[in-house]
Amino acid sequence: MAAGGLPHPLIYFNELNHALGLNVPIHVWYTWAVMAILFTLSLAVRGKLAMVPAGLQNFFEVVIGGLEDFVVANIGEKGRTVFPIMAVIFIFILGMNLTGLVPGCDAPTANVNTNAAMAVCVFLYYNYIGLKTHGAGYIHHFMGPVKALSPLMLVLETVSHLARPLSLTLRLFGNIRGEEIVLILLFTLAPVVGTLPMYFLFILAKVIQAFIFFMLTMIYLKGSLEHAH
Amino acid sequence: MAFKIFKEKAAWDMIGTASTMGMHMVSGTLVGLTMGYFLDRWLGTEPWLLLSFLLVGIVAGFKMVIEDSQRILRKQKDEDDDKGV
Repeated sequence: MAAGGLPHPLIYFNELNHALGLNVPIHVWYTWAVMAILFTLSLAVRGKLAMVPAGLQNFFEVVIGGLEDFVVANIGEKGRTVFPIMAVIFIFILGMNLTGLVPGCDAPTANVNTNAAMAVCVFLYYNYIGLKTHGAGYIHHFMGPVKALSPLMLVLETVSHLARPLSLTLRLFGNIRGEEIVLILLFTLAPVVGTLPMYFLFILAKVIQAFIFFMLTMIYLKGSLEHAH
Repeated sequence: MAFKIFKEKAAWDMIGTASTMGMHMVSGTLVGLTMGYFLDRWLGTEPWLLLSFLLVGIVAGFKMVIEDSQRILRKQKDEDDDKGV
């Protein structure tokens, strides 16, 4: 795929599309690839769970345990019920972001469609959790603390809630797409030598972006789990 | 090393909130504008709904920024309390 009008030197799945005569978009292929990797890893870990963790299980226990501690410290014990979807979001987005650093691959999150899909999922999920926890009383979340101002606050809160998926989408898209463009530009200027130092910066930036998506999901879920002010 | 800062959980939290604030302000305005535009096209009331929803969007954006900064303040206060005890 051309990132910002620049031709990408080589994309594996373009070749596969050619070979199979298919026309599946690149970001969909790479999303599937990341999903396949994650499924394989999780099945491999589940296959030989042990009381004394070793190898891969050790790694996943550290990652998921750390995330769970973070969620419970922020939301409280109720956070454990909604924790799985947040852990999946973090690991999945991290995987997709880091795909962009593999030579010949393109990050699926550098396409706005992938991000919009995930942001809409988060939006629907936290509203569903809010409705499930509070029932019809969930509307109080949109009314603000002052009764006289509640019609105005209803409009304001609706706009600000609808803005959430938009800001989630655009931040992730802008960051990852920008990084991909910088990588390709540097690669055309000075192959390998120019791109290598940027890898260290971008690994950090991509982890931060995945973490921010995860953290915002957590903040939204916290808002829909707790009582209206 | 500058990377040491990422070992602290509070630093991650702060980076998240800080990078959210700018985006929140813009996205509120954009959503207000889009809602107003399409409502106008639907109801044929140009340009009044566009203008009023744009205003609502700007206010909503500012409200989100204020909420974000309140969250930072609350967090800092909690940390100060923890240190004091």
